[in-house]
Amino acid sequence: MSEPILKVENLKTQFFTEEGTVRAVDGISFEVNEGELVGLVGESGAGKSVATSSIMRLVEDPGEIVGGTVTYKGKKLIDFEEGPDGELRRSSEMLSNEQMRKQIRGKEIAIIFQDPMEALNPVFKVGAQLREFIEINRDVSGKEAKRIAVDMLREVGIPEPEKRYDSYPHQFSGGMRQRVIIAMALACEPDLIIADEPTTALDVTVEGQILDLVDELQQKYDTSFVWVTHDLGVVAEICDRVNVMYLGEIIEQADVDDLFHKTRHPYTEALLDSIPRPDQSVDELNPIKGVMPEAINPPSGCRFHTRCPDARTVCREVHPAYQDVSDPGEARHMVSCVKYENVGYDDAEPLETEATGAFGGGLVEARGDGQ
Amino acid sequence: MGRLRYTISRLLQAVPVIVGVITITFFLTDAIPGDPVQIMLGPSPSAQQAAAIRAKFGLDRPLYVRYFSYLASVVQLDLGTSIYYQVPVTQKIMERLPVTMYLLLASFTFALVTAVPLGIVSAQRRNEPTDHISRVVALFGVSTPSFWIGLMLIIIFSFWLGWLPSTNIVLPWTGPANVGGASNQLEVIIKSLQHLIMPMITLGTLQMAAFTRIERSSMLEVLGEEYVKLARAYGVSESKIVRKHAFRNAQLPLITLVGLQLTSALGGAVLTETVFSINGMGRLIITAVQNQDYQLIMGTTLVFGLVFVIGVIITDLSYAYVDPRVSFDGSE
Amino acid sequence: MATTTGSSLDADESGPEQPEARVGLRYTLSQVKRDPTALVGLGIIVFMTLVALVGFVDGVLFDFLGDFDTFANMGVHQYVLAETFWVNPVNDPGNAQILRPPVYLTNQLYPNEAGTWAHPLGTDHRGRDILVRLFYGTRIAITVGIVSTGIALILGTLVGAVAGYYGGWIDDALMRGSETLYAIPFLILVIAFMTAFGQKLTYAMIGVGIATIPTFARLIRSRVLSVREEDFIEAARAAGVRDRDIILRHVVPNSFAPVLVQATLQIGVNILIIAGLSFLGYGAQPPTPSWGQMLSNSRQYMLPNAWFSIWPGIAILITVVGFNLIGDGLRDALDPRINN
Repeated sequence: MSEPILKVENLKTQFFTEEGTVRAVDGISFEVNEGELVGLVGESGAGKSVATSSIMRLVEDPGEIVGGTVTYKGKKLIDFEEGPDGELRRSSEMLSNEQMRKQIRGKEIAIIFQDPMEALNPVFKVGAQLREFIEINRDVSGKEAKRIAVDMLREVGIPEPEKRYDSYPHQFSGGMRQRVIIAMALACEPDLIIADEPTTALDVTVEGQILDLVDELQQKYDTSFVWVTHDLGVVAEICDRVNVMYLGEIIEQADVDDLFHKTRHPYTEALLDSIPRPDQSVDELNPIKGVMPEAINPPSGCRFHTRCPDARTVCREVHPAYQDVSDPGEARHMVSCVKYENVGYDDAEPLETEATGAFGGGLVEARGDGQ
Repeated sequence: MGRLRYTISRLLQAVPVIVGVITITFFLTDAIPGDPVQIMLGPSPSAQQAAAIRAKFGLDRPLYVRYFSYLASVVQLDLGTSIYYQVPVTQKIMERLPVTMYLLLASFTFALVTAVPLGIVSAQRRNEPTDHISRVVALFGVSTPSFWIGLMLIIIFSFWLGWLPSTNIVLPWTGPANVGGASNQLEVIIKSLQHLIMPMITLGTLQMAAFTRIERSSMLEVLGEEYVKLARAYGVSESKIVRKHAFRNAQLPLITLVGLQLTSALGGAVLTETVFSINGMGRLIITAVQNQDYQLIMGTTLVFGLVFVIGVIITDLSYAYVDPRVSFDGSE
Repeated sequence: MATTTGSSLDADESGPEQPEARVGLRYTLSQVKRDPTALVGLGIIVFMTLVALVGFVDGVLFDFLGDFDTFANMGVHQYVLAETFWVNPVNDPGNAQILRPPVYLTNQLYPNEAGTWAHPLGTDHRGRDILVRLFYGTRIAITVGIVSTGIALILGTLVGAVAGYYGGWIDDALMRGSETLYAIPFLILVIAFMTAFGQKLTYAMIGVGIATIPTFARLIRSRVLSVREEDFIEAARAAGVRDRDIILRHVVPNSFAPVLVQATLQIGVNILIIAGLSFLGYGAQPPTPSWGQMLSNSRQYMLPNAWFSIWPGIAILITVVGFNLIGDGLRDALDPRINN
């Protein structure tokens, strides 16, 4: 396979608050190949959105990107190197803010935000906003930009695009606005679109329409996507590959089918148990126990051990390595769980956790035997 | 279409407020103790004289009759006759109103021209020295009594430095013949500006400070909006974001405040005119109150209320102009 | 969004969830404690209040006992405490030194005789010590600020709560009424009010209180409108709780925080308004010292003694700054979005 279009390595973003340092994104790595739709899944608070805004270098105070490398088509969007004093510092290859703005944002990587109601400026006409971004990112005349804008509005399924071009955002429904935002992203002809929970704020039926639209347009334009969501259903529908995030870390990464059918990480398993699945019948849904701890003071060892039904004493002490656990001949399947390491999980005592609780002990044993 | 309807509905809404202003002042004025006739004729007028005056000014009729006849005459733009000045109230007001409006417009212009850039710079350089300075200035501006600023300006620029005149105001369109020491219109205008500076600052400082504060906070808020982030994510430069994407939205709270500040500015005009001995509406109403000139009190208060209501309507309309959501919805 | 928790895209993405809720008075106060500017404001107000207390004690003595000749003959006057501890501002009339300059300074009246520590800020046109009168003016400022705001707060809450809760024509009538009140400039309304009812400080306070009702009425009304839609209000109503109890138990407590902010800021505004009124002669009547009235007196003597008009203005400025700092601090604590 050719070089991936986007390569994120060990990205770290922290927020320096009064209460302490929040390690919102703590060393994540993933890649996106050309034409691929990669999912980034996790509960809210996992650091998904911070990860995407870090890639665009749009993290705001008091947040700061503190380490890692992000390579996009050979360009270093983020690149930290170790200085002579051992401190991490920006490398000379890392794009300047100005380069980032002029070469990358909009032109190469476009973003779609969660809430279409907030993402359009209420005091400007929709068309004018669309046209401005096209003018900036495609070096075309105003007239040409308008033509592209109207075409794009038609493309995303907005009826009477010439007329709607002169409407204000409040005259559009939420679904229509999200279509406008998608038109905005596609019209700039980027090679990568980061979609940050683009359907979360929409009705289920509208969500379905938008997903179909994206699927269709993605094939037509061959744009790569990073699709951020907390909804595994959405992931199953459109993603090629999936990264599961928990508390600032990616804990499992696999092709979408493998993730659903050869689930390795207990967290992913728990996530899957908590949603209805057409391929399996369950008597009742089983929500994940407990709440995600704070990223300001994450649990020791494996960060999921406080809620993990399979947790054993070793999980508290050993931070699992992120490694490939695929069987030979299979696609890569990365996971970070001590179960797949030789650190003495099998011999360790089960741990009382939020998930095991009063009656969970037996469950742990049963599962442990299964390994 | 939407805008015209909105304008009309806004104007109609003002009518009950104006009637309310008339009602409040009418009954408040009536409650004022003392007898205007005595003020005019001295402590012991003859019964005949007093009755004649009462009849002349309609004071011999019952209260509610007077109220409705006053309402009726207001509709015909007749505000009665001033007992103290012995001229029609409208005449006196037409004489004084331009002075106050000149002062008000000047100080609002001063306030806006300083506050908007100051607030924006403050928001852009949040927590940097520029921001701290502008915030301290704004804090002191809203905390300082305006008339005291006037006194201080007079002490410094009139008494000590002798640069600016400490009393009176000259309207720039006054004929040169009516202005001492001016031989042509240009000199009148220069003189007018010299007279204007200190009252303008006196009256405008509070507004300036209030506007700066709201400009800063609304700019900060707008700069954090999703659509601003979106613009950033599409490579729009930071300066263009402030100039274009955030600017219009950030002005909305300011526009509302400009209308609301009018009421405190009109009160401030009374103080400013007193400090600088300017013969405007503010001093007129004080004279009217001190001399228990019923008609004049009601007339001037009504005009103050009108100025406020018209000002609020203008700001509401400009709000609707800036924010398309308002006029299209028809509500709000 | 300029957040302290700081996530750029999603508010709950990075912000660690606080164990205790980020609302409520206790949380607000704990935030204020960490805000140095609000603490400066608090310091100013505490100091001013202590100073005002001295004047208040004397004021009570003077107001209640001064009318009786016996006490007046005993020497009860409004500066008893000041005189006991420091200096009597009311000099012996025959011996009064008027318009003395502040310490170490000279003026036209005393070109060769600098001011002394006996009267650090100089004396006024009647030979009274300016510093002592400033101190005693604090009482008027703090009292009128708080009392007038209290009146506006109570009446405004009532109007706003009733209007917002009942809606319909009651709402329309009350809101139109309050708009009307707002349309007449405060100062003019209060002057007319005082002319009608009497030129006493009490009426000034009532007048300013009434004139600023609309500020609170609007605030409460908007809170009520949002709270009214809440499920628990519906539930209470369905359970047969009386309207009055609903307003008192649910709506009012829910509106407490923003009202507290507004009230704190309003105290400052009202101090300015009443200073303006006193300046025009419609406030505390002599011999009770008030800052506005001192400024008014100073106008005739600005030339020989510019200091005379500087001090009261600074006193007003500092006091109002104090209330504004606390108000801003409270607001920041309540609304983290505009936090700094």
